[in-house]
This record gives sequence, structure tokens and C-alpha cells, in this order.
Amino acid sequence: MHSREVFIGIIQENESLIYKVAKLYTNSREDEEDLYQEIVYQLWKSFPAFRAEARLSTWMYRIALNTAIAHLNKAKRKGNHLPIDEGLLNRTDSTDNLKEEQAKILYDRIKQLDTIEKAIILLYLEGKSYEEIASITGFTATNVGTRLARIKQKIKSQIKK
Amino acid sequence: MELDEMKILWGEMSAEMEKQKKLTGSLIIRMANDRYTNKLNSILIPELLGTLVCIAGLLFITIEFQQLNTWYLQACGIIAVVILVSLPFLSFKSIFKLRSVNILQNNYRQSLLEYAIGKKRFVQVQKLSFYLSAVLLLVLLPVMAQLISGKDMFAVNRLWLWYAIAFPFFYPFSQWVFRSYVKTVEEAENMLKEL
Repeated sequence: MHSREVFIGIIQENESLIYKVAKLYTNSREDEEDLYQEIVYQLWKSFPAFRAEARLSTWMYRIALNTAIAHLNKAKRKGNHLPIDEGLLNRTDSTDNLKEEQAKILYDRIKQLDTIEKAIILLYLEGKSYEEIASITGFTATNVGTRLARIKQKIKSQIKK
Repeated sequence: MELDEMKILWGEMSAEMEKQKKLTGSLIIRMANDRYTNKLNSILIPELLGTLVCIAGLLFITIEFQQLNTWYLQACGIIAVVILVSLPFLSFKSIFKLRSVNILQNNYRQSLLEYAIGKKRFVQVQKLSFYLSAVLLLVLLPVMAQLISGKDMFAVNRLWLWYAIAFPFFYPFSQWVFRSYVKTVEEAENMLKEL
């Protein structure tokens, strides 16, 4: 199969991963669209170097999270991205109104964490093991555990406020 | 909401999202191609415009340099030329450094390290550029007055005196300008400590 079709298939299969990273690392719809497209672009750029022996999700998270960091440097660049008017980002996190509200609270809580914690909690919530989180982030598995314990405390204190 | 509850909710949310696949093949390719074209423009156009202005000033002063007929105007001319060369160089260097996070090779920790170090350097370069621009403004004024209208502003308008009066106000002004930078540097330093 042509590599372009393979790439399209991978992106389609994992589009919610890109959506979640873009949503967590931005504060406006415009920035979200910008980061979303940048992640797709960076994945496309790095796709030829992707080795099948590495886990696909590890590669995707690594590129997506690195792109999110690089994106922190950029000021808003109006009109510099393809307008996504096809409802791409108009997803509902849940069809249930209550769940939708809870999802909003969840995103808000995570957005209050710092840049390091944000990635660790995202990967934890995505069901990654400490070892997988360690291989994506470059921290040791023990360090990931320590940081997660700290994040738990932080979230508890957020709730008390 | 405890962490475990968050995980359950996140799982439900992810399952819901999986049902809403929206990306088409053509949209993915359009995004990648569009990005590639825009990337070149967004980096280069504003920087190139600034550089062109600097080069135009630089050429004008260099070509007309013999009209600067006193030692102090010549000194101002030389300082202006040096700054007009340095400013675009510093700007390009810091921007490319800031954008140099190696997305394809790094892990998250390495990217954050590069980001935090780059941010600190960027602020230092911004500060240096601010001071250089202030000096440029001071030296360019008499040089241009001489080159364009043949007037020695130091002799005619007692420019030295105005410089002396304005100088004490410059430091507090620069501190006011740099206040927002302090927060950026602190954030970058905190991130470095955490890493």
C-alpha cells in the first residue's frame, strides 16, 4: 500500500489522540485548530522515519506532545492555518449533558496543571503504564509515580478551593 | 473528582469520541501541505521586512558616510552601522533557536529542557535588542539629519543637552518594559528546576 494511504489510515485511526492533545494545550478555538494542524503536519513530516518496531501510539504521543511544547513559543498567528469549517473540532465529549459538563470540568482541571504534569496525567488517563509514560516523556518510571502522586494531591486541593 | 473517577470519565469520553471520526483523507493531506507553505511565510516575512529596513539604512549611511564631517557624527554613523548589522542577526538567531525544539527526535523532557533554555535566551536577546534599539535611535537622529538636510543637530539643537536630560529617565522606563519578561524567565527557571 502507498505510504500516503497508510499515513491517512493511521491519522484517521488516532484522530481523537490529536484532538485531546490540541485541546489540553490551548485556550482558544483558534489556537486549538492551529495546534491540531501542526501535529498532523509534524506526524506527516516524521512518518518516513517511523520504525515499525516502535509502538505506534508511543511515536504519536511523542510527536504530538513535543509539538505542543514547540507551540507554546508561538504567538497567535491569525489566518495562518487552514480554516477547519468542517466541524472537525465540534465534537461532543459526551452525548449526555451531565457527562458533557463533567468532561468540561475535567479538561479545566487538567489545564490548571503545569506543562510537565499535563503530559503525565494525559498519558495516565489514556491508560498508559508507568513504563510507557516513562518511555514517552523521558522521566524514569519511579519519577512518573512520584509526579502522579503529586498530581493527585494537587487535584484534591483544586477540589477543596 | 478523584483521579480514579477522572480516569473512568476520560475513558467514557474517549469511547464517545471514537464514534465521531471526522477526518477525511483529503483534509489530512491538505492540512499537511497547507502547513508546509504557511510555515515558510510565517517565519520569514516579518523578519525579512525588518532586515530589509536595516539593510536600506545600512546602505544609505555607508554610501553617504563621507558627508559625516565631524568625529562625533562619524562615531554615530559607525555605531549605527554596527547596530543595523547586529539587530537582524540577533533576531534571526534567537527566533531560530526558539523554534529549534527537535520534535522528531526528542522525548518530552528533552523538549521541555530545550524550550525552557530557549525561552531564557530569547528574553536575554530581547533585552539586548531593546537597549541596542534605544542606542540606535539616539545615534540615527543626528546622522540622518546630517545626511538628509545637512544639519549638525549637535551644533544647532544642543542635542548633547537633551541626551543628558533624557538619560536618567531611560532606566526606569526600561525596567517597566522588562517587567513582563521577568515572569517569563521565572517560569522557565521553575520548569528547569522541575526537570
